[in-house]
Amino acid sequence: MSTIIKIAWRNVWRQRRRTLLIAAAMGFIMALLVLFDGVIAGFEQSIYGNAIQLLGGNIQVHAPGYSEKTGQNPLLPLANPDGVVQVAESNPNTVVAAKRIVTGGLVTNREGAFSVSIIGVETDKESIISPVAANISSGRYLNPDDGDLIVIGQGLATAMDITVGDRITMAGGALHAQTRQRTMTVVGIFDVGVPTVEKNTIYMSLTEAQSLFGLDGQVTEVVVSMEQIGQEPPVVTRINKEMPGYEVETWVNSMPELKKTMDMKLSTMSVFGVILMGVAAIGILNLLMMAVFERTREIGVIGALGLKPREITLLFLLEGILIGVMGAVLGTVLGLALTGMLGIVGLDYSQFADLTEYTALITGKIYPEFLPLKVLNHAITLAVIAALAALYPAREAARREPAEALHYV
Amino acid sequence: MMNYLKMAFRNLGRNRRRTVLSALALSIGLALILFIAAFYEGEVRSSMESTLRLDSGHIQIRGADYDPDKLSVAWEYLIENPEQVAAQVEALDQVQVATPRLIASGIVAVRDESSGVQIMGVDPASSANDPYREGMISGNFPTADDREGILIGLPLAENLGLEVGDQLNLLVNTSNGTVDEQLFTVRGIFTTGVTIYDKGTVFLPLAKAQAFSGAENRASFIFILLKDREQTDSVAAALQSPNYQVKTWTELNEILVFLEDFSNAYLFILNLIVMGVTATVIVNTLVMAVFERTREIGILTAIGMKGRQIIALFLVEAGVLALIGLAFGLLLGWGFSAYFGKFGIYFGDLGISGMLLEDRIYTYLTLEDTINLTIFSFIITILASLYPARLASRMEPVEALHGSN
Repeated sequence: MSTIIKIAWRNVWRQRRRTLLIAAAMGFIMALLVLFDGVIAGFEQSIYGNAIQLLGGNIQVHAPGYSEKTGQNPLLPLANPDGVVQVAESNPNTVVAAKRIVTGGLVTNREGAFSVSIIGVETDKESIISPVAANISSGRYLNPDDGDLIVIGQGLATAMDITVGDRITMAGGALHAQTRQRTMTVVGIFDVGVPTVEKNTIYMSLTEAQSLFGLDGQVTEVVVSMEQIGQEPPVVTRINKEMPGYEVETWVNSMPELKKTMDMKLSTMSVFGVILMGVAAIGILNLLMMAVFERTREIGVIGALGLKPREITLLFLLEGILIGVMGAVLGTVLGLALTGMLGIVGLDYSQFADLTEYTALITGKIYPEFLPLKVLNHAITLAVIAALAALYPAREAARREPAEALHYV
Repeated sequence: MMNYLKMAFRNLGRNRRRTVLSALALSIGLALILFIAAFYEGEVRSSMESTLRLDSGHIQIRGADYDPDKLSVAWEYLIENPEQVAAQVEALDQVQVATPRLIASGIVAVRDESSGVQIMGVDPASSANDPYREGMISGNFPTADDREGILIGLPLAENLGLEVGDQLNLLVNTSNGTVDEQLFTVRGIFTTGVTIYDKGTVFLPLAKAQAFSGAENRASFIFILLKDREQTDSVAAALQSPNYQVKTWTELNEILVFLEDFSNAYLFILNLIVMGVTATVIVNTLVMAVFERTREIGILTAIGMKGRQIIALFLVEAGVLALIGLAFGLLLGWGFSAYFGKFGIYFGDLGISGMLLEDRIYTYLTLEDTINLTIFSFIITILASLYPARLASRMEPVEALHGSN
């Protein structure tokens, strides 16, 4: 056995040019497959990542009993929110964990009455991650010590016919079902290109929300933002373990329709990925079969020297595996480099189409993602294909009479 | 040229397995990008189609100063005697249905909970309401003379804990700038499969909506569906009038049109990658073939073939190979797209409930995509074969003759 491995290794390097050619082709193809997956994941990330930030964050922590309340956004204060923030932020993939007060209310002026979600935010933390803070079209975003100032969406501003500096009356249900009313000044207007959000959401500073709704020093929600979609589970487990007794939800539970759409897209794209893999497989099959059939005469020689058909097959199988493994390793390195590079620089696709306007949900660049599990999958599949591709012609050749194989041109 | 072709055919035929496999890789590559294009086109079309039927229609006639962002029902923005206008429009041959609709903004309140909605006043008898009728989960569509009945969407009903027969308080912004409210009874619950739409829209009979909001005999717009979407522009031109704005579906759905551009850019990148894989396969097969045929190339040069001619020979060979592969790929891609265009790709097993219009995607392959992608693949293949062809042309005849294969 060890002799056969030795011979296989020598054979692989005897034909250096061919080996390198095949390994390079496999590596390049695999790098493209890795990039294909990465681009798809990056696109999903760039669309859904922003949508999740905008619609409520990757993870939400609420007080126990929150989900049982039939209504949207009950005012249920959370015990020890700072502890939750600390635990959540101890995860390296957490961008920020921020405290919020979320409740429903009405805003009115002479144009009419409009139902909105009122969100009190820790402005210094949210300005890092919030698409709202990044898309203020006029005025400014909130500062931590802002009093009766609010930021509203462009849709609501149009409907109510107001601009920065105007005052509107806001009513919200405070603790113990009292209604609080206050006149607020619009300090900024955001435009994220999503009409429902723009029309239904207003933001104010957390301290203002606390005094308005009688929640001194308390909050109703902790929102955790992750670097990427899919990094939520460890944080959820950690919070449940170290600080039991909260209702911890990820966007998967709170926005099931988003999850469905995303799964649907991903499953289709992975089918495309498999077909592409098929194209690659045919190519590799072709290369290795060419390489082995070319050596029919050589097979005749070793047959004549007394190597048994089984051993010949084994020899060529080993060669196939060696080349396959080399290609897979090269592919992993290349794929890593290509995806990593584009992950830093970003792939600017805006030049491929005349995209005249952007919504905040879609930026002009995507950052391909590196998916280790898929890469491993590709590597193993390619190595197996290479081995199989070598097996078939080797068996054919090994079965021939040595004398006949020797005469093969 | 004829000679090159003959030689190319012979060379390809001499190593049939290699030819077939290379051509097959190209075929599957082309079929794949055709299918991806058909898939996206189908998706855009189906979401466009449902948006047209549910929301925007093919054409809308609005009051000259109407601003759809405001949902205002102040009289100066609205169309007077809408029934009459709609009847005139409907008399046109190309028009399938034209019906007045009134939209106002309001708030639904049940106990302590409230939710902002747009109130849509529709003529219950009109066939334009079929998408909502088909999506009824329980109860009935309110009748034209119903004064207390309302139709709400499934997600709204779930959020507020409402069932058919329950009552809700509806607040509306009226024509004179004040707010009015009234109790309504839920007559029916519908779903269109578009959550955002179902969450934010409630239906009243047109007459009730007009009375409730103070709009009287006025409507926000005339909703028009055509028999054939391609006739939109000619019908819109015929409807032009100084008293109204006439909006076509392309103007009404700028976001969808934008999304189409966006997915085109995305597809372009994916196509490049797919073709990159296919090209690598072909380059390598050809490079290996060149090495394998070193001696043959040596003989060709020795009997006087020039480098340029050898390049030409290899390019013709690649071209023939590409044509065979692409023809088969076209057949394959077209076949798959046609099949799934007829039967749809079913997404129901992913647990999507209540999806009425989008549980299947029907692929749609446009002629333009087919031609562009096929030419694109052909060019990539020829470019890919340039390197091996040059490699072959640069061999020294004597060395090549002696080359161990």
